[in-house]
Order: sequence, then structure tokens, then C-alpha cells
Amino acid sequence: MIRTRLAFSPYVAIAIAAAAVAAVPVLSPDRYLLKVLVYVGVNVIVIAGLALLFGHAGQISMGHAAFVGIGAYTSAYCVGHVGLPWLVGALAGTALAAAGGLVLALPALRLRGHYLAMATLGFNEIMYVAFREARGITGGGDGLGGISYPEVAGLSIDSPVGVYLLVWGVALVVLLLVANILRSRPGRAMRALHATENGALACGIDTVGLKIRTFALSAGLAGLAGALYAHSVGFISPGTFGLDQSVIYVAIVVVGGAGSLAGPVLAAIALTLLPYADALIPGLGKDAVALLQDWEADIYGIAMIAVVILAPAGIGGLLTRLRIGRAGEAHV
Amino acid sequence: MSLLAVRGLTRRFGGLTAVDDVSFDVHEGSIKAVIGPNGAGKSTLFNLITGFDPPDAGSVRFDGREITGQRADRIVRSGLARTFQNTELFEELSALENVRIAADLGVRAGFVRSALRVGLTAGERESVEQARRLLRLAGIAEFAQARASDMPHGTRRLLEIARALATTPRVMLLDEPAAGLNGAETRTLIDALYRIRDAGVTLVVVEHDMGLVMEIAEEILVLDRGAKIAEGPPLLIQKDTAVIEAYLGEECADVGC
Repeated sequence: MIRTRLAFSPYVAIAIAAAAVAAVPVLSPDRYLLKVLVYVGVNVIVIAGLALLFGHAGQISMGHAAFVGIGAYTSAYCVGHVGLPWLVGALAGTALAAAGGLVLALPALRLRGHYLAMATLGFNEIMYVAFREARGITGGGDGLGGISYPEVAGLSIDSPVGVYLLVWGVALVVLLLVANILRSRPGRAMRALHATENGALACGIDTVGLKIRTFALSAGLAGLAGALYAHSVGFISPGTFGLDQSVIYVAIVVVGGAGSLAGPVLAAIALTLLPYADALIPGLGKDAVALLQDWEADIYGIAMIAVVILAPAGIGGLLTRLRIGRAGEAHV
Repeated sequence: MSLLAVRGLTRRFGGLTAVDDVSFDVHEGSIKAVIGPNGAGKSTLFNLITGFDPPDAGSVRFDGREITGQRADRIVRSGLARTFQNTELFEELSALENVRIAADLGVRAGFVRSALRVGLTAGERESVEQARRLLRLAGIAEFAQARASDMPHGTRRLLEIARALATTPRVMLLDEPAAGLNGAETRTLIDALYRIRDAGVTLVVVEHDMGLVMEIAEEILVLDRGAKIAEGPPLLIQKDTAVIEAYLGEECADVGC
């Protein structure tokens, strides 16, 4: 049987994406657009981690915004209060979020589906309260301002273009590493676990270890995204890391499609850009933007319902049908 | 020496003793059948041996090592594979991917090595080759690219056997491999089972198809209401009064048929 092998090597896909990322500031160095694209890049990192955990391994997390928060506050505190370099702060934020992922993996070893969703949702609520009440570290409900710009090798990255390139550089590296994991043994084990846990066990897959590692990695990526966000934007408050944001992350992965990486990433880009449509379309009126922002949650909801009814495999499924190939699925 | 030694294995569900003090041995290179009426505890016995369900009492020794109560995946990795009465395939994936996931056991690739893709290609190529070879051994090579959910029932059972084989087991426990198969498919299955046995894999088969059992089994273990009521070669089991009683019911035994 002859099969068309159109499956993109992730390296090709990442190279194309890198060219696109580099082209944006050249074509339009607009500050507002770059700022919006920083949000998009941060969300792409979070979604890469959640696509791994939820989209591939089938373990739902309604608490990913909390991990973003852990990364953001930890990094801001390490740099602002302790005086550590930004790189160390970002790594600490990533590590602490990954540790939080380990904690959340414990219920995942016993719970499935709705029950795991409830447990992770509870985790997000607990962390939300912690962010609000631990005023000495987080600044409480008023938020934490004046967070310094990222700094690499003594150089402060304080220009909009610099921050944009940093966030997207990290995002592309993350995407490449995640795509590689997905097309290797751990990725296949995740898809097996998702399909049937008994079947995975019968293949000798250490499902306990796999869940723990996947939760930790996914949470760590969310923490990394948080660290980038805090220092790019300069201000964080608990509202950014609430349950509603976690729900949005899950919605993005659903719209993007389970078992796909490219789908959720495209969904993350599209849905994050939605409320900032005026950054892309300069002529767009203020009323139209306000309307989009007011209806943001509704549009997400409608997109999710439409996908579940019309294209259960999401954007990723549509890509596969167009024979563009699925990230992580090695065509052998 | 027996490769698999089961001693006093017991499992209770509330007031019901599903498996009641069952002991038996499986010798290397043999085919053993486990039979018994519905609800005799055959599948539960398999679950206890393979770590999918914890026993309340008793022990399982595999190749001289105690494996009682170990996690299922670890038991598989130690060389004791199984299939399920209701197939547990990865439905969305191709037949080849199904088998490859089990063949992955031979690939050393954690998260870090996988993320960086350091030196994985040779091992992966090998596991894909292994998967193709096993599909051929099971006689379903033409379904390699088919989605598991799209495959005919009989070939799905063979696919699960190929997947279990990919873990390179020394003993394989098959739970009703012929259930729902037609005559021709059963014939294919029997041929595959002989090839597998000849490749050096010891087989334990739970099966209702008596034709298959009497043809392939060197020894038969008979369970009734959780307890072992007979064990021996097919010809003796066929004449065993306790077995006839269990299968035909006590009324029949009263009138002496």
C-alpha cells in the first residue's frame, strides 16, 4: 500500500513558525500588537503542556491557571524580594509548579474523568485563595506590580521586540521538545493510557510513573509560562490565575483536538487573539472590540459546543483530514 | 520445575468467594486450558495472577520469583503477558501502532531523551520491525495500517495476542481468545497458538470452545464456583464425574447420565 507521507517533521514546522515569528516585528513593530502576541506566546506554552496531559494522556486538569500563577509569583518573588537573577527565578517558578503538578498527580492515580476534574478544580480554588491571602509574597488582591523585565546574562530585555522574541523563542523550543516527546515512546504510552488503562498496563507501561511525570512536566511548562508572563507584563494579580482561566485552557485543548499538538496551538493563537482583534485589524472600531471582549466567554463556549458536535476531533482532526499529518504520530 | 506456580489463591467479593483456594502449576513449553461454567472464577483467577486484582490469600510464583500483589505492568515486564475477555485495544490507533506500543518496552527512552531525540532512531526502527513480524506471526499483516476499531472481530483478538507477544513474554494468559470467532477464524487462531507455543511461549488459555480446548490443551484445569474440581489431561477430564456434574447440573448426576 502506498501512502502519502505528508507528515511534517516537527523541525520543518518549527522552522516555518520561527520565520513567521521573526517576520512580525519587521513587518509591523506596533507595540500593542507585540504585547498581544506575548500573551499568545505565553498561552501557547501553557497549551503545549496541557495538550500533553489532557489531549494525549487523557488526564484532565482544571487547575492549570494555578500552575501559571505559581510560576509567576515564585519568579516575581525570587527576583524582586530575594534578588536572584531572572533565569534562576524563572527556573524556580518552573520547578515549584512542577512540584505542584506532582501533588496533583496523586489524586490522578486514583480518580478518573469528572472526579479528577473536581479534584483539580479544587486545587485551583485553593491556590487562588492562597494568592489572594499570602500578601507578603503576592501583594494580595491588589496584585503585585513593578516586576522587573527579564534579564539574560546581565542584559535587561526591556524592549517590546525583545520581550516578544524571548517569549516566542521559548515557546518554539517548548513546542519542539513536546512534539519530540509525543512522537517518541512516552507519547505513544500517553495515547495508550488515554485509550485504555488496562490495555496500557498489559503492554507493560508503568501508568503510575507516566501520570506523575506527565503531570509534573505539564505543570512545569505552565509555571514557565507564568514566569515569562510576570516579567513581560510587569504586573500580576490573582484574577489572572483563577478557575475561569483554567476552564479556558481546557476549552482551547478541546477546540484544538485531543491527540493533536498543532490543533491546540492554533486554537490557542486564535482564541487568545480574539479579544484583541483590534491589534490585527487596525481599522476595527472600539465598539466592535468591546463587543468581542464582552462576549469572549460566550464565543469560547459556542466554539467548544460546535467542535464537540461538528468536529469531535477538533482542529487537529481537520488537519489530519487535510493530510497535513498529526504531530506525534510517526507514520511508519 | 514449573514456570508458573499458583498456591492457595483466594479472592472474595463481599460474601462471594470468586476464587477459592486454587493451586496449580504450569510447565514451560506447555499449553494449559482453564475451563468451567460461567461465573466459575476463570477471569478473576487471571486477574489475580496478572496483578489486575489483588488476591486475599495465596501466592503466585513465576520462574521461582514471588509476584503476588505486584503491579500489573511490572508483572508484564517480568515476562507474564495477557489478553482480555473483552479486548482492550487502542481503538483509535492502527494495528501496527497497537503492537508497537508494547514493543516499545525494548526501547530505552525517557522524557529527556525523547524530548531531545538522542539516539532513538535505531531502537524505534527495530521495534517497528518487531511489530510487523508479530503481525505476520498472528496472520494479520494485511491489517497493519487499519484502525483497530475498524478491524473484524476475529482479527482483533489476534491483534491483542500479537500485542501481548510484543512484550516478549515467557508465559501468556489468553482469556477466551476464541469467543465470537467463526469456524475458519478459530482454525486461524489454533494455528497461531501452535506457532506461538513453538516459538517458546508457554500458554494458559481460558476457553469455552471445547473443541479448541480438547485439541490444543495438554492439561486442563476445571473450576466450578471458584474452586478447582479437577485437573489433568483432556481424556481424563472428559470422563471426570465431578466435571460432568458441574457442566450438566446435579439433576443429571442424580439420574446417572
